[in-house]
Amino acid sequence: MGDKLEESLLEGVETLLAEKRYELIGRILSQVLRGEKLLTLSDIIDKALLNKYLGIPVFLSLWWALFRFTFDISAPLSDLIDILFGKLGEAASIYISNEQLASLIADGIIGGLGSVLVFIPPIFFLFFGLSILEDSGYLARAAFVVDRAMYKLGLHGKSFIPMLIGFGCNIPGIMATRTIAEEKERILTILVNPLMSCSARLPVYVFIGGAVLGGYAAAGTYSMYILGIVLAVLLALLFKRVIPYFKGKPSPFILELPMYARPTLRSTVLHMWERGVLFLKKAGTIILLATVVIWFLSAYPWAAVHAGEEPDIRASYIGLLGHKLEPIFRPLGFDWRGAVALFFGFVAKEVVVDTFGVLGISSAEDIQQIFTPVTGLAFMAFTLIYVPCLATIGIIYRETNSWKWTIFSIIYELVLAYIVSLMIVVIGGCLG
Amino acid sequence: MIRVALIGNPNVGKSLIFNNLTGGKAHVGNWPGKTVEKKVGECIYKNVKMEIIDLPGTYSLTANSIDELIARDYIIKEKPDVVVDIVDASNLERNLYLTLQLLELEANIVIALNKFDIAQDMSLEIDCGKLSNLLGVPVVPTVATTMEGMDELKEAIVRSAMEKKKSRPIKFSYGREIDELIARIEKIVRRDKKLARTYPPRWIAIKVLEADEEVLKMIEKSPCKHDIINLLKVRKWAIS
Repeated sequence: MGDKLEESLLEGVETLLAEKRYELIGRILSQVLRGEKLLTLSDIIDKALLNKYLGIPVFLSLWWALFRFTFDISAPLSDLIDILFGKLGEAASIYISNEQLASLIADGIIGGLGSVLVFIPPIFFLFFGLSILEDSGYLARAAFVVDRAMYKLGLHGKSFIPMLIGFGCNIPGIMATRTIAEEKERILTILVNPLMSCSARLPVYVFIGGAVLGGYAAAGTYSMYILGIVLAVLLALLFKRVIPYFKGKPSPFILELPMYARPTLRSTVLHMWERGVLFLKKAGTIILLATVVIWFLSAYPWAAVHAGEEPDIRASYIGLLGHKLEPIFRPLGFDWRGAVALFFGFVAKEVVVDTFGVLGISSAEDIQQIFTPVTGLAFMAFTLIYVPCLATIGIIYRETNSWKWTIFSIIYELVLAYIVSLMIVVIGGCLG
Repeated sequence: MIRVALIGNPNVGKSLIFNNLTGGKAHVGNWPGKTVEKKVGECIYKNVKMEIIDLPGTYSLTANSIDELIARDYIIKEKPDVVVDIVDASNLERNLYLTLQLLELEANIVIALNKFDIAQDMSLEIDCGKLSNLLGVPVVPTVATTMEGMDELKEAIVRSAMEKKKSRPIKFSYGREIDELIARIEKIVRRDKKLARTYPPRWIAIKVLEADEEVLKMIEKSPCKHDIINLLKVRKWAIS
């Protein structure tokens, strides 16, 4: 004690000095400034949207509207694509004479990749809606509103912007943490960023939720996004409490709010395209590759799988892997197919849907045979929480420059995913 | 040659003023060891050559971000002849916060009151003479977009550099109690000659009270450390 210049000696003085400065500025302005500063339209709208009590409800309602819009408008288009791929698959199995090649094209590529491409409409419409919110100037306000709440909880103000970006994709989200100067606050923000539900998870929510939650599919998806935010905040608070490295109060920051503007169709469509096209690129590369690998594992050993009248995937390599994994997931109510889908989902979240497609599970009836509404919701939550994709792991390593934090993030996400899913199953079971 | 640094909050029109002064010709590089862009240009007015350095846009001069540290280190260590503080006239309250911090740094300031037209559109009337008197520094209204006030600004820069009266820094009050505490820390700091030569002692005193990371690190190494700690320990209860 006694020979260190501790910050605790100075607690509260900084804010006191800042207050005094603003007091002084107020006195100067009262002598220098005349005339009423007219309220602009932006100021008036902000009075409502940034209101202490209305801010969060407005944010939640707009977010909800975004999801309803995404779902309602894209559903018929997705159905159309689904029918198209169905026909393509039939044609492939009829016209390709080589049995194995036909299986690769029909079951593998058309069945697997097709089940992912069905999600082009919701992903593009989600980005369309997000672009409108962004171009209008609202997204910056959303950051401000949520941020104010987070700051009160003791989290850094700049954290929410990377998290908002994470709704599109966690990778740019994590890179955006570079704006946070304080190293420990930056690492904390990186660690919880994967909990932001990126667009790659959307196909899983729509695929599973659409089949087992019926009219509540949009609500289920919406709840995943909210669950992600809530978990991120709770985890950040927990880490701050438990891990000594993260202790300390957040530094304040200033966020400049742009004026509201009417979004133009051109810039909105451009924004949507820029982000959406990344999904298409991913589908054409990593997901296609994963599809071929998964198809191979599901179709071989050929003789064993195709011994009977109908191919029996349980005899394949993937079936063997699934049965090894199944006991781990049995408490959550996922069968071996859910287990392998999650296993391959490590590569990228779209691959979860892809895997189901290759395994021949594509219609709502197929899904209802594997999942109840409760286990479906648990599966969605598991998908939300566990490691987003290989690329995210890579970027976490690059940005933290530490294997320790990278491995920590993988482990906590897996454990948390398991706990939350289990809670959903247990509570859902109690409620009947 | 006069060395001039431009500083201001983000979005006040700093880059435009830089371009207006330098004719758009700039040498662009990085701040040493940092990934923050550094722009340097030249301006000649009435045969006086000026070197214009564009500092990063900041709201404040704390040690919390790289931008703010670069800006304040430059002002402290390189001691430019004139610091042009570009202030958004339509948003004085927020912008003057930086101005007060520059005054504490005892920089030789000229204020460019930019976006003056927007302030007028908002039917704000600003008494520039009075503002200049209260802060003890020249104030020049400008509209960077139409280049209005640029000659007046250059004139003010040159005159301020010639007079270099250290702008007779106006010490503003933080209230009796804190003022007294600042004065006592300042007195202790002055005993460390090396420290007091590099940094304005009063500024150090204020930054100690703000628990500024960089300044606390300097105090850690200084012989006056123990006196300051003892003073603060006694005072801790009194402040709150």
